[in-house]
Amino acid sequence: MNLWRIAWSYLWNRKLTTLLTILSVALGVGLISAVLTLREETQRRFEEEGQAFDIVLGAKGNPLQLVLSSVYFLDAPTGNMDIAIFNELKEHEDVIAAYPVGMGDTYKGYRIVGTTRDLMDFSYGDRAPYALAEGRYFEAPFEAVIGANVAQETSLKMGATFVGTHGFVDSPYAEAHENHPYTVVGILERSGSPNDRAIFCDIQSVWDVHSHGGEHNHDDQCEHHRPHDEITAALIKLASPAIRFEFKDLVNRNYNAMAAIPIQEIQKLYEQLLGMAKLVLLAIGYLVVAISALSILIGLYMAILQRKRDLAIMRALGATRGEIFGAVIIEAFWVTLLGILAGWFMGTLVCLALNQYLVAQIGFHVSAVRLTADLIAAYSAVILMGLVAGILPAWQAYRTDVARDLAEL
Amino acid sequence: MVLLEHVKRRLGPGVIFYCEHFHAAPGARVALFGPSGCGKSTLLNLTTGLLRADEGVIRVDGQEIQRYSESKLDAFRGERIGFVFQTFNLLAPFTALQNVIVGMRFADVIPDKEWKERARAMLDRVGLGHRLHSKPGTLSVGERQRVAIARALVNQPRLIVADEPTGSLDPKTADGVMALLLELCEQEKVTLLLVTHDRSIADRLPKIFDCTDLVKEAQS
Repeated sequence: MNLWRIAWSYLWNRKLTTLLTILSVALGVGLISAVLTLREETQRRFEEEGQAFDIVLGAKGNPLQLVLSSVYFLDAPTGNMDIAIFNELKEHEDVIAAYPVGMGDTYKGYRIVGTTRDLMDFSYGDRAPYALAEGRYFEAPFEAVIGANVAQETSLKMGATFVGTHGFVDSPYAEAHENHPYTVVGILERSGSPNDRAIFCDIQSVWDVHSHGGEHNHDDQCEHHRPHDEITAALIKLASPAIRFEFKDLVNRNYNAMAAIPIQEIQKLYEQLLGMAKLVLLAIGYLVVAISALSILIGLYMAILQRKRDLAIMRALGATRGEIFGAVIIEAFWVTLLGILAGWFMGTLVCLALNQYLVAQIGFHVSAVRLTADLIAAYSAVILMGLVAGILPAWQAYRTDVARDLAEL
Repeated sequence: MVLLEHVKRRLGPGVIFYCEHFHAAPGARVALFGPSGCGKSTLLNLTTGLLRADEGVIRVDGQEIQRYSESKLDAFRGERIGFVFQTFNLLAPFTALQNVIVGMRFADVIPDKEWKERARAMLDRVGLGHRLHSKPGTLSVGERQRVAIARALVNQPRLIVADEPTGSLDPKTADGVMALLLELCEQEKVTLLLVTHDRSIADRLPKIFDCTDLVKEAQS
C-alpha cells in the first residue's frame, strides 16, 4: 500500500464531494480542450484548403472576402472582374493552371459555382477534392455536379433537375431562374472540404442565366450587362508557392483586379480576429479552472479538518510529516488528473457535437480532442493549479499536532 | 526499557507535568493509574515522543529520544512502539486487513512483500480471520479494538502503549480485550504501558505506577 493508494482511498471515501470537484475541473478543462481543438482543427483545415491554390483573382475590394467567397464559398463575392485580365494572366509564364469562377445563384442555400471542366481534374498533395462518387462531370451548360452535403440535404439524385435562385441567401423571396433548370449528372465524394457544399457547372451556364436573354433584370448585388465578359473570380496555381507574393504584387499594381493569397488571408484571419476570440474563450476556460482549483482547495481543506485524527494516527504509526504532506498533494493530483480526463472527454463530446454543424456550415470535419503541444501546455498548467491548490491543505496536514489531535474528539 | 528521570513539561499557564522517576524493565507490564487529568496520557505522550519534554531524561529501548529530530522520532515510533487507543482509531476508508497493513507501511520495518501475509496472520491471532475485508464501520467495538491490537503488534515493536484500551467497551468485551492484550504482550515479550483510571483493570497488570501527583502547579 503506497501513498497513491492511501490518497485514493480517502477520495473514494467521500465520493460525492470528490465527484463534484472533479466535475468542476472537467468543465474548465472541457472548455479549454474544445476551444483549442476547434481552433486548431478548423485552422488546419482552412489552411489545407487555402494551399490548394496559390492565388485568387477577383474584383478589387477586401482580399479576405474574395478568398472566403471563392475558395470557401462563405462570403459574398467582391464583384466581377474583366475576363480579359484572366485570359491575359492565364498565359503568364509562372501560371501553370487557372480556372475561372462565376457565381451569382444558389439552390436551397448551396452555391452554384460556374467554372471550366478542367477544374474537376484538379488535385493537390494526396487530395482529390473533386473526385466523383457517382455519375460524370458536366460536359455541357446546365449539367451540374453536386457536393456530398448538397446531395444529402436536398435529396437531389442523379438525373434530377432543379433551378437556381438569385443571390447568396436562401430566401423564399429570391428570384428563381425557372427557364434555366440544371440537371444533376454527377455527385462528388465527400471530401471534408467546401466542395461538399457546392454545386459545380460549366461557367457558360452562369453567363446564360445572367445574360440579357435571361428572364430577369437583376438587382444591384449582381448587375451583369455583359456577363460573358466577366467572371467573379479565378483560382490560380503557380509554378512555385515561392512566387506568390511577387505575382500578387504584379496583379495589384498593373491590373484592375485584386490578387489575394488564400493561405495568407486565412492566417491573418486567425491571428487577428479569431485569435482574440480564442483568447477570450481560453480566459474563460482558465477562469473556470481557477475556480475549480479553489474548490479543490476548499474540499481538501475541509477534508483535512475532518480527518485530523486520522492524520495524527498515521503520524503515531510512524508516518513522517513529508509523507502526510505528500498524501494530501497526491489527493489534489488525483482530482486534477481525473478532472482533466473527464474534461478531455467532455471536450471531445463538444467537438463531435459541433462537428455536425461545421460539416453543414463549412464542410469541415473536426476530430476528437487530440494532444497537441498547446493542449499539453494547457493541461500542464491545470495540473500545476491543482497542485498549488493542494499546498494549503497539505501544509495544514503537515502541521498536525499529533498529541493534541489524538487527545481531542 | 523505559526510563524517565526529572522530566518536566509545561502544560499551560502555571501548570506543569513533572515526573521524578519512572522505570519499566524490558517485558514489564505496567499500569499507569490515576484519575482523569492527572498526567497519565502526558507520561505516555512523552514516552512515545509525541510530546517533547522541557527538561529531564527520557530513555526508551536504550535511546535518549528527547535528542532525536522529528523525522528520527517518526521512524523510531514506527519501528519500536505500537499504539492502542481508547477509541480504536482505525482508519475509516480501509478494511481491517488494510488498517493493519497501513501500520506496516508507515513503520517500514517489514518488507512490503510480507505485509499481506503478516497482517492476515496477525488478524487470525486476534480472532478476526473471518473479518479481513470488513471496514471499521461494520465491525463491533470489540472487533475494532482487536484490529487495533493487531495493528499495534504486527511490527513486532519493543513497547506497546495502550491509552484506556477498554474505556469504550462494555465489561464483558473489555475483559476479553484485556485478556488478549496481556496474552499477546506476554507471548511477544513486549513491554506494555497501559493507561487506565479503572482500578480493576490496573489490578490485572503486575505493576502499577501511581500517576496522581504528576500534574501540579508550577512554583514561581
